[in-house]
Amino acid sequence: MNAIASLGSELLSLLTPTMIFHAAWSTLLGIVIGSLPGLTATMGVALMTTLTYSLDSTTAILVLLCMYVGAIYGGSRSAILLNIPGTPASAATSLDGYPLAQQGRAGYAMGLATAGSMVGTLVGIVLLVMIAPPLAEAALNFGSFEFFWLAVFGVVISGQLTADTTPVKGYIAGILGLMVAMVGSEGIHAHIRFNMGFSDLNGGIGLIPAMVGAFGFAEVLNAMWGRAGVLATAKDKSDRIIPKLADLWRYKVTSIRSGIIGTLVGIVPGVGEDIGAWASYVAARRTSKEADRYGKGSYEGLTAAETGNSAVVPGSLIPAITLAVPGSASSAVLIAALFIHGIRPGPLIMIEQPQFISSVAAMLILATLFMGFYGLTLTRAFVQVLRVPYAHLMPVVFVLCVIGTYALSQRIFDIWVMVGFGLVGFLLRQMKYPMAPLVLGIILGDLLDKSLRRGLTLSDGDLTPFFTRPVSAAFVLLIAVSILANIGFVRRRISQLLARRNRRDA
Amino acid sequence: MQMTMADRLMAGVLGALGLAMAVGGFRMDRLEFRQIHPASIPGLVPMILGGLMVICAVLLWREASRGADRDPVLADGSWLRLGLTAGTCLVYALILVGWLPFLWSTGIFVFAFAAIFGWPENGDRGARVKAVVGAAILAACTAFGTSILFSEVFLVRLP
Repeated sequence: MNAIASLGSELLSLLTPTMIFHAAWSTLLGIVIGSLPGLTATMGVALMTTLTYSLDSTTAILVLLCMYVGAIYGGSRSAILLNIPGTPASAATSLDGYPLAQQGRAGYAMGLATAGSMVGTLVGIVLLVMIAPPLAEAALNFGSFEFFWLAVFGVVISGQLTADTTPVKGYIAGILGLMVAMVGSEGIHAHIRFNMGFSDLNGGIGLIPAMVGAFGFAEVLNAMWGRAGVLATAKDKSDRIIPKLADLWRYKVTSIRSGIIGTLVGIVPGVGEDIGAWASYVAARRTSKEADRYGKGSYEGLTAAETGNSAVVPGSLIPAITLAVPGSASSAVLIAALFIHGIRPGPLIMIEQPQFISSVAAMLILATLFMGFYGLTLTRAFVQVLRVPYAHLMPVVFVLCVIGTYALSQRIFDIWVMVGFGLVGFLLRQMKYPMAPLVLGIILGDLLDKSLRRGLTLSDGDLTPFFTRPVSAAFVLLIAVSILANIGFVRRRISQLLARRNRRDA
Repeated sequence: MQMTMADRLMAGVLGALGLAMAVGGFRMDRLEFRQIHPASIPGLVPMILGGLMVICAVLLWREASRGADRDPVLADGSWLRLGLTAGTCLVYALILVGWLPFLWSTGIFVFAFAAIFGWPENGDRGARVKAVVGAAILAACTAFGTSILFSEVFLVRLP
């Protein structure tokens, strides 16, 4: 009851003309960024972080959250109209959205996607308010030993789940991120490490330049490398836009289930919105009475995919706020933005700012309302946005990458870092290395380093407490199982054992 | 180039990087004069990370040797477009910014980028004039817009 009262009061406090104005433009900009293939939600949040330096922390976080919610939703526009997902999160949406558009029901598909996204975000918000406070309180008991394993768990799971082909590439990306975090002054004795003689590296490699490079410049290169530079072939195929209540009611179970799946997927570090959408889509098809319609223009499939990816947004904020371990690449950027704006996500958040979780939930509700409003009223305008050619879009994006990176500490060196990470990020992406673990590694590197050394100092060099304390032991077990399950011969051996047991039982 | 070959090359690079990191961590100052606990030496985590990277490099090499992924690398795009994009972006970010005032460097970059990639190769004179005028308008709007936004609203001293 307290949580609901707190949420209500935070929502009321946001209903000022200034806040509504900021929520309105940032959600709209998020939808535009999300709908343009080549620009992702992570990139949008990273670029927007650099544009919110001068705003007060509440307004800045509102803008970033609205941008995040809008961008994840916006990807569905181009997925439905062009069969090109605006963000990877919308790949599942295009499976049924595009066939519906081809059948002349693009408007209705977009309306249904809007309704699904709203339901998904709202389910996620409810779970955020329910799960985050107890999780933060439980995390208050964490010590150096537990934080060390938490950091390892974040990088391992992220590396494993986001890798396209082999988890080894995910692990490598994570370790590369951790290595980047080792550069500069370390957190315990302030000893300078790996500065290669450059005094600019004494403070370490900035998270924002690295992220803007890996997600911004790398995406500019990727977009110009892969496509002809002129994107727009979208035709306005809008029909009825407002979804029928009967359709919404018919898919209520699918919506709620997809919302829960999306939120739970969001909680797992580094997994992201695309996995949330696919997991929801697959679960819906498995239990559907109209499974044969999936992929051919199923309303249910479209609803499941959109509800699933939107629910990941609040879900990914649960570990991000309570443990400072991001649930998705975008929330990794969001954590960096929170630090920049003076908010320290982590277990202490419930002590330092007990109302913060309610405040975030209220901001998400505001973003959801604007998302619904734009989604149902500006369908035709979004079709026009999709006609912007890359030749005009990408130079503007790169200018924002450069000036946004420079603006934080006003050092030309940060622009060089951004460019370096952009070039390396492009090459790594072409070789199927995921970028999310790299960013997670940079974020979690300091925590991992300090926790391991502090823990070892506390135990006088004894490793035992890292394995015997209950939470640490649980993390070790989880990490070991998830790594072993990806080793070929272990997997084969387990399936042989299971098959043998099944034969014996039979 | 096939992914298997790219992975092998990458495994070599990463193995060397891991080794360098481990050696760098091992040779790092132990801060004995400050009498810190040997378990909290600054080089500890770099050594571990270097070791882990070497292990991952070996695993990557093994997987590449098995030929698990034979997809082509850097094969489905245009080298010309990539080169032009990287070239214009690098000239802007590494040379023009800081050398020319931000307004001018941004204007030149955006105009060049938009004109190069928006140039209608098979278009008539009218289409080409339209492309150049469009690039110029975009360049002016972006240069003035970002300059005013960052210098006047965000109070950033522009390069």
